[in-house]
Amino acid sequence: MKNRVPALFASLVIGGSLLLVSTGVVAAVTAPSGPSGKGVCATEAAAVKAGASVSTLRAMADCEVNRRFATLNQLGSRVSGSKVLTSSDAAALTSEIGSTTSGLTSLKATIDAETSIPALRAEIVRIASDYRVYLLVGPQVNLVSAADGVVTSQTRFSKVNTNLTSRIAAAKAAGKDVTAAQADLDKMNAAVTAAVGLATPLPAALLPLTPAQYNGGTAGPVLANARTALGQARDQIKAAVADAKACRDALK
Amino acid sequence: MNRPARYVIKLGATALLVGAVAVGCAGHDRGAANGHTSSSPAATAAQTDAAEALPPAPVTTVAEATPAPADSPAPGDSTASTGPANAPGATADPLDTNLSDLDQLLNGVNSALSGSDASASGGE
Repeated sequence: MKNRVPALFASLVIGGSLLLVSTGVVAAVTAPSGPSGKGVCATEAAAVKAGASVSTLRAMADCEVNRRFATLNQLGSRVSGSKVLTSSDAAALTSEIGSTTSGLTSLKATIDAETSIPALRAEIVRIASDYRVYLLVGPQVNLVSAADGVVTSQTRFSKVNTNLTSRIAAAKAAGKDVTAAQADLDKMNAAVTAAVGLATPLPAALLPLTPAQYNGGTAGPVLANARTALGQARDQIKAAVADAKACRDALK
Repeated sequence: MNRPARYVIKLGATALLVGAVAVGCAGHDRGAANGHTSSSPAATAAQTDAAEALPPAPVTTVAEATPAPADSPAPGDSTASTGPANAPGATADPLDTNLSDLDQLLNGVNSALSGSDASASGGE
């Protein structure tokens, strides 16, 4: 018994440590909320509402530009860290994020030097209308990432198909009824084809969109249609994964 | 072996099993969130320690806690590489590895899709 007490202690400590390690890992991936949200500039906006002056307007403009910088940084990190974006799509998005950042930097310099209240008001409007960080750039990054993710899944499904085809052949050779498994595999392949078909054309439609097109009303429907198509593609991928699992289970 | 000794061994085995499963689950979550494909070095090291620290007796526990080979396929498969052999869903089967990868990829697509909505809520 004496020998077992240290063992018990060690086991409990190790088990507890592993739990702590796992908790830390989960906590580490929780996305921090950055200074990019809608309410970040509420104080500055309230100050303008209470009394518009060059200083209050400039403070609000700076805040609005800065939160866009924060968002653009987050988007840039997402693009550079993506494992699914194609190199050309990543390059196009990086370029767009870069030009948006430099445009806003230039506008901020103009605003910081502005002394006329009417001119400041017009320049503040341009922060949103000329760059459309939240209504266009963000959705472009996310939707192109989702589209490339769906297309990337094809390679994985190809491996799954090879594996399951081989299992079906082995089961058939062993005299098993593989009808259900083959039907599941066929469904999986059909779903993958449908998903990839939906996602493939999207980056080419999304990447060229400009703030001017958004303001003119032509980019919004493209974004909405892409979102719808990707929702359908996602559902197809989900169904394909379920079909693959059903096929595997049918062969057990 | 007397009863207290068996009780102690069972307790130790349970604690290790819970820890290993928790690490497996955490690794899966992490992979789903950011697409990382390797299991946590800390967790692997902890498991190595666990395997070394345990007394020889406890039946299946030592074998279950043995870390996967360093070159084993990892993606989101810390479940596969670190989990106990008889834990739910834990296996080194390449098919399961691929399916686990696809689950993660699906999570990534979901995140990107919801992000495309969230971006629009930035207020413009």
